[in-house]
Amino acid sequence: MRVLVRPAQYAALALYILFLGFPLLWLISASVKSSGELNSLTVSLLPGEWHWDNYTEALSKQGLVRSAANSLVVALASTALSVVIAVPAAYVLARLKGKVRAAGVGWILVSQVFPVVLIILPLFLILRTLGLADNLAGLTLVHTTYMLPFALWMLQGYVAAIPVELEEAGAMDGASRLTVLRTIVFPLLAPGVVATAMFSFVSSWNEFFFALVLLQSPENYTLPITLTMFVGGEGKVALGPLAAGAVLAAIPSIVFFGILRKKLTSGLMAGAVKG
Amino acid sequence: MKTRRTLVAGALTAVGLLLTACGGGGSGDGGDGPVSLTFQSLSDQPAAIAATQKIVGDWNKAHPDVQVKIVQAGWDGVYDKLITQFNAGSAPDIVHYEAAGIAPFATDGFLADLTPYLSAEKRADIPKGVLDSVTVDGKVIAQPTELQSYVVFANKTQLQQAGVTIPTGASMTWDQLREIAKATTKDGKFGLGWGLSSPTAAFVALAPGFGGKYFEGTGTDAKLTAGPGEQALPQLVDAMAHQDHSILPVTLTQSGTKALAPFYAGQIAMTVQGSYQAANIAKDAPKGFDWVVLPPLAGSAGPAQAANPQTLSVNKDSAHVKEAAEFVDFFTSTENLAAINEADALIPPTTSARQALAAKLAGKNGWDAILASGEHLTSAPYLFAGKYAQWKDTVATPAYQQFLAQKIDAAGLAKQLEDGWKNVSK
Repeated sequence: MRVLVRPAQYAALALYILFLGFPLLWLISASVKSSGELNSLTVSLLPGEWHWDNYTEALSKQGLVRSAANSLVVALASTALSVVIAVPAAYVLARLKGKVRAAGVGWILVSQVFPVVLIILPLFLILRTLGLADNLAGLTLVHTTYMLPFALWMLQGYVAAIPVELEEAGAMDGASRLTVLRTIVFPLLAPGVVATAMFSFVSSWNEFFFALVLLQSPENYTLPITLTMFVGGEGKVALGPLAAGAVLAAIPSIVFFGILRKKLTSGLMAGAVKG
Repeated sequence: MKTRRTLVAGALTAVGLLLTACGGGGSGDGGDGPVSLTFQSLSDQPAAIAATQKIVGDWNKAHPDVQVKIVQAGWDGVYDKLITQFNAGSAPDIVHYEAAGIAPFATDGFLADLTPYLSAEKRADIPKGVLDSVTVDGKVIAQPTELQSYVVFANKTQLQQAGVTIPTGASMTWDQLREIAKATTKDGKFGLGWGLSSPTAAFVALAPGFGGKYFEGTGTDAKLTAGPGEQALPQLVDAMAHQDHSILPVTLTQSGTKALAPFYAGQIAMTVQGSYQAANIAKDAPKGFDWVVLPPLAGSAGPAQAANPQTLSVNKDSAHVKEAAEFVDFFTSTENLAAINEADALIPPTTSARQALAAKLAGKNGWDAILASGEHLTSAPYLFAGKYAQWKDTVATPAYQQFLAQKIDAAGLAKQLEDGWKNVSK
C-alpha cells in the first residue's frame, strides 16, 4: 500500500499541473488553428492543420510588439516604484502603534473602495495639466498609485510576521537600526517583496481601463488595449490572431516570473536560516 | 457591460460637471500651418483599415490645408473612452461609433449639428429611416457609414434534400421560414439554429416587421409597450423551439457566432445571423458547402428592420467643425461608402452606394439578398430611449431568456418588460 503513495502523489501533481496548464495549452492550440477549424463542431487539442498565419497577422496588426514594449516599460517601472515606496511604508505601518497606524490602515482600506470610474476623470484632467496624459510616465504613476495600497497591505503582513524579538536581539548585540534592517529584516522580508513585485507586475501588465482612457495615441497603447483591437463591432472576434497575440503577450510575464521565482526561493531559504 | 456603461456615464457626467472649469475646450491647432484633424477610427478588419487609410490618404492629398490623422481605437471600452474624452474636453475631432452609442452624447450636447453640411442630394440618398436613426431633436448628429441587417443563411443542399423550394423574390415571410424549418427537421437534424443568448437586440431590431416599436418618445420620457407587435417574434421563436422542435435547443443559449459551427456541420439547415457573417461563412465553411442567403424576412407589417448604423460624428468643441464636417461628407461619398462596406461585409446606408456595390458584386456570396435587406431598414425608436442599454441588460435579456426557457408565459414577459422599463427609467 505504501508503495503506491509516491506514484499517487506524482499522479495528483501531474493532474494538477495539467489542470493549471490546460487553458494555456488550449490557447496555444487555438493560436495555430485556422478560422474554419476554430468555428467547427470538432473539438481537438491538436490542430488538424498548423496555421501560422495567425502569428503573422497578430504581429503585423496594430503594432503588437510596440505595445508589448510599452507594457513592459510601464509594468517594470510601476513595479519598481511600488516596491520602493511600499517597503519602508509597510515597515512603519506594521511596527507603528497608535492612532497614526489606525488612520493609515483605514486610509488604505478606504482607498480600495472608490470605483475607478469615479476617479478617472479628475485623474485625466490632472495628468493633462501636468502634461502626462497620453504618456507612459503618466500611466506608470497611475498604476503605481493604484497598486500601492494593496502592495502596502500585502507587505505589512509580511513585516508583521517577522518577530520583533529578532530585531530586539540584534539591537542587544549592538547592531544599529540600519544594520538590523539590512541584516535581519530585509532578508526575511525578501519573499514578501518578491511576491509583491510579482503582484504589481501582473496588475500593471494586465491593466486595461486606465490605459484605455488615458492613452490617446496608438503609439503609446499598451498590450491590453492593442489586444482589444482583435475584437470588432457586432461581436466580431478574430479568434486565431487574438489567441496568437495572447500567447505572445504571455511570454514577458512568464520570463519575469521565471526570474523572480529563483529570488522567491532564495528569499524563503534566507528567512528560514535567520528564523 | 452595459450596466457598467450606465454607471460610468452617470459618474463621469457628475464629475465632469464639477470639473468643467478645468476642461480644455476643443482640439485642433492654433498655428498658421494646415488645419490638423484627429479621426478616431474603430475599423477592425484588415481590409476595412486599409480602405479607411486610403480614404484619408485621398482626402489629405486633395486638401493640403486640412490634414486628417487617423487615431486607431478598438470597439471594446470605446464608450468609456469617449465619455471621458468628451467630459474632459479632449475628444477627437471626428468620432466613429454607432447610432445607439452616439445618441446619448448628442443629447448631452457634445456633438456638432451636421444638418447645415448635409447636401440635399446626400439627404435624399439616405433612406428616411436610416436618417432618423442619426437625428436627435431635429438635428443630424452623425452621418451613417455602415449597416447590418438580420438575414437567414441556408444550407442549399439540406433544403433541396428536404424537397423545399428555396425562396426567391423580394422577401419571404416568417411563416415560410417556420415551414422550411419544420420540413428540414428530421434525422436528428434541426431546421434552424439561432444564437439567442442575448436576444434583445435581435427582437427589438426585427420587431418593426410585425409593427412593433417598443418605445414612444425620447430620453427619460420614453414609454415602452410590449404589445402584440413586440411579442410576435419571441412567441414565434417559442413556438418553433417548443411546439415544432425545429430549432436546435442549445443555440438558444449561445451567441450568434457559436451557432455557425452546427451550420457548417450540417446539424442545422438554416441560421439567423447578422448580414456581416456572409464574409465569415465564405471564409470558414467547409469546402463544397453550398449555402445561400434567403430573401429578407417579412412579418405582418413587411420586411422592416430597425437600423443602428455605424456613424461618423463631429466633436462640437472641435476648433474646426466645418472642416471636420466636410471630411465626414467626403468619407461618406458613394465611392468611399461602397469601398468601406465591401471591406467590412456590411450594407452601405445610401441608395447610390448600395447600387454601386450591387453592380460590382453581382450576387457574389449572397450580397444581392443582403443588399436587398438593407432597403428595408427603418428608424429605431430604441436608440433614443435614455435607459435602453440598462433595460436591455438588466430587464429584457433575462426576461426573454426566461420566456424562451418556458419559465414565464407571454403575459409574464410583457409585465416584466414594461414594469422593468418603469423601474429603470424612474
